[in-house]
Amino acid sequence: MKTYQFVLSGLGGQGILFMTKILAQTALNKGFNILGAETHGMAQRGGSVVSHLKIGDAGASLIRAGAGDCLISMHEAEAYRYLPWVKPGGMIFVNAPAEVFPDARVASYLDTHQITGFAMEAGKTSFELGSPRSTNLAMVAFFGAFGQGPLDADALRETVTYMSPDPVKEINLKIFDTCHEQGKKSAEKSAHGIV
Amino acid sequence: MKQAFLLGNGAMALGLLEAGCQMLTSYPGTPSSEILPETVRFAKQANLNTVIEWSVNEKVALDNAFAAAISGKRAACCMKMVGLNVAADSFFSAAYIGNIGGLVVISCDDPGPHSSQTEQDSRFMARMAKVPVLDPSSPQEARAMIKTAFEISEQFQVPVLVRPAIRICHARQNIAYDELKNNDTKAVFKREPTRWASTPKFRFLQHKALNEKHVLIAEKFAALAPYNQHNIQPGQAHTLGIVTGGVPSAVVAELLAEFDRTDIPVLKLGAPYPFPASLADPFMDACDRVLVIEETDTVIEYLLGDRRKTFGRLSGHVPMEGELVPEKILAVMNQALSDSDLEPLTHGDNTQEAFVLTTSLDLPVRRPTLCPGCPHRASFYAIRKAVPKAIYPSDIGCYTLGSNLGGVDTVLDMGAGITLASGFWHAFRQDGVDKPIIATMGDSTFFHSGTTGLINAVYNDARFVLVILDNGITAMTGMQPAITQGVRVEGRKGNAIALETIVKGCGVTYLKVVDPYDVKHTIDEIRTAHEWSRSPDGGIAVIIARHPCVIGLRDQGLPETFEVMVTDECDDCGLCHLQFECPAMKRNPEKGKTEIDPVLCSGCGVCLHICPKDAVQCVLKEMT
Repeated sequence: MKTYQFVLSGLGGQGILFMTKILAQTALNKGFNILGAETHGMAQRGGSVVSHLKIGDAGASLIRAGAGDCLISMHEAEAYRYLPWVKPGGMIFVNAPAEVFPDARVASYLDTHQITGFAMEAGKTSFELGSPRSTNLAMVAFFGAFGQGPLDADALRETVTYMSPDPVKEINLKIFDTCHEQGKKSAEKSAHGIV
Repeated sequence: MKQAFLLGNGAMALGLLEAGCQMLTSYPGTPSSEILPETVRFAKQANLNTVIEWSVNEKVALDNAFAAAISGKRAACCMKMVGLNVAADSFFSAAYIGNIGGLVVISCDDPGPHSSQTEQDSRFMARMAKVPVLDPSSPQEARAMIKTAFEISEQFQVPVLVRPAIRICHARQNIAYDELKNNDTKAVFKREPTRWASTPKFRFLQHKALNEKHVLIAEKFAALAPYNQHNIQPGQAHTLGIVTGGVPSAVVAELLAEFDRTDIPVLKLGAPYPFPASLADPFMDACDRVLVIEETDTVIEYLLGDRRKTFGRLSGHVPMEGELVPEKILAVMNQALSDSDLEPLTHGDNTQEAFVLTTSLDLPVRRPTLCPGCPHRASFYAIRKAVPKAIYPSDIGCYTLGSNLGGVDTVLDMGAGITLASGFWHAFRQDGVDKPIIATMGDSTFFHSGTTGLINAVYNDARFVLVILDNGITAMTGMQPAITQGVRVEGRKGNAIALETIVKGCGVTYLKVVDPYDVKHTIDEIRTAHEWSRSPDGGIAVIIARHPCVIGLRDQGLPETFEVMVTDECDDCGLCHLQFECPAMKRNPEKGKTEIDPVLCSGCGVCLHICPKDAVQCVLKEMT
């Protein structure tokens, strides 16, 4: 089987590893093999963090530039930084206001290469619902609404349920459901050609 | 069977315990640091009696493991590749002497480099020491290779090196594993001075015996599938073949599969030394040209020994430095295929446009910096204030980032903060120049390699100030316990050793302890220490700047916190965010003054002492 390849990016402290684990655990539950690579650099906090994850039978952990199916980014600038890793026809999901993303210079590149980008203020939603630290799983829920790759939203939600500690389980699921709904609206609009 | 999503370092930890490793020793260093804690975790889960220790340095670690191995037990020692330089004395000698129980050394390479001072290739160290080497291509293979390494080590009574690169160590993979069991082999030491304490006459014989072992191991390696294998059938001829190993061999296999290229044969050498010539020679004979893709240096390329037939680093086809990421390997393969008049895998490079675009966006540069509240920041600020025109030799750890504050002029190797300081002193002294020198070194580095340099400097009458940055933890590599705290792996009790005892024991007579958070006092003490060092009866002055790490020892590091604000007195000089470089202090371009980011601010309160306009004020002081 061909692998499905995620590039996940953000800043140190935003829980890129947690996001990787949600996707990886969901893939494991579905019986897939997984292989991924983490790159931290030297920064403890606030540095650029990227994680590669291949679902399916992969041999090498790094995703080749130009071969990633999907980029999920916790930060607008960190989405642009890893743009070269998204394949033509791939997808980008970014934690940013829909009005600002994509930057005009990026928009024409995305068009030329049939890359579709979707933005949602996952951080703002998570903050408003009481848990800004849950922005990572909010982005997973947003991604899950688009039916891309082998991981469906129900399976991702089940993993979030299982991986959330009891005190934050309820609030995490509320954030997941809210962002999943927002994702579904974006997906419908996109299907009707309104982005 | 259990299933886990493990780092390569975790997979190797499993491999060690599955192989019945009875003793594991290590000194932390990226990318190797998680092997030991993962071994602790699995050993605890399975209630094993494995002896596991953080050693003081890599040489000490390897000596300890060697003793267990010559007592008949299975032992391992892990480190980063520059750690193998420290352990080289032990490593080279151990190869001659040999072992009884299996002895496996894991040396993790860092092509890039991502977090190291060199890009050296541990396989070359293995070649020089005449130690067999295995080079895994995935976490799963690394785990399996460790078992093979123990078997070879015991069969031939020679240490074996396993060389995982960072993309093994910090890859994650789902790994299935069985129950782990104790290895009950008992320690037996049979006196045999001609072996264990051999003189040069016997060393010659041991060297001869080692060379004879190599002939046998090379034969074994020639049949060591799937680590060593090729896919050429007898009688076939090819224009171009690829010889590869380790991480790049996995990338090559993926690329050939992705582009459906069955016309390019591959020789994989996951066990490249002793060189399996009887496997490689027929492959070389069947190919007009071969492309060698290996990480990080030219080990296989040299061992193949047919330079005119080889595309690789020596022919300019493969970059001499940097990590061989998949897009680079694709470009290298395309070039070699084109040069051989074969169809490349892809035409053109469609990622260049995106890289050019990304560069043009002027994305924020996120250089590594000390954490908010880091006591080292206060120490470097004080050093610069106290003796502004000094040379600042420093060392390896979080505090290397003191370079951002202008407090780090040199970083050579572990311990060189002190040895370069004494070298600078004598070099300038020779010319009659009294050059101020303020050296820095962390507590863990001091124990690792600082004492010999300090003894040497005292003995040879050098004059400088050494500031030991004591944060009570080995922070850079992931918060391993410090010797000063008397805590061992898994929180077990050890015997604490005070820095003061060691410093005085090295012959230093001037010793002060300060809290760098008390910035004004620290500046005064460093200035006084410098003056004393130059007095007729002076010498080396040591200041221990002691404050617990605010990340690893948060409660001790921040017993009280200060909520601070920037007043209108701020004249936008930028000292706090440009020179002091606190990540929580940012310039607000609209207001033309500094602001505090409350999410990043640790509440350390050090900024209250550094603003030249006194524009940082405390709003609220709290006990935590």
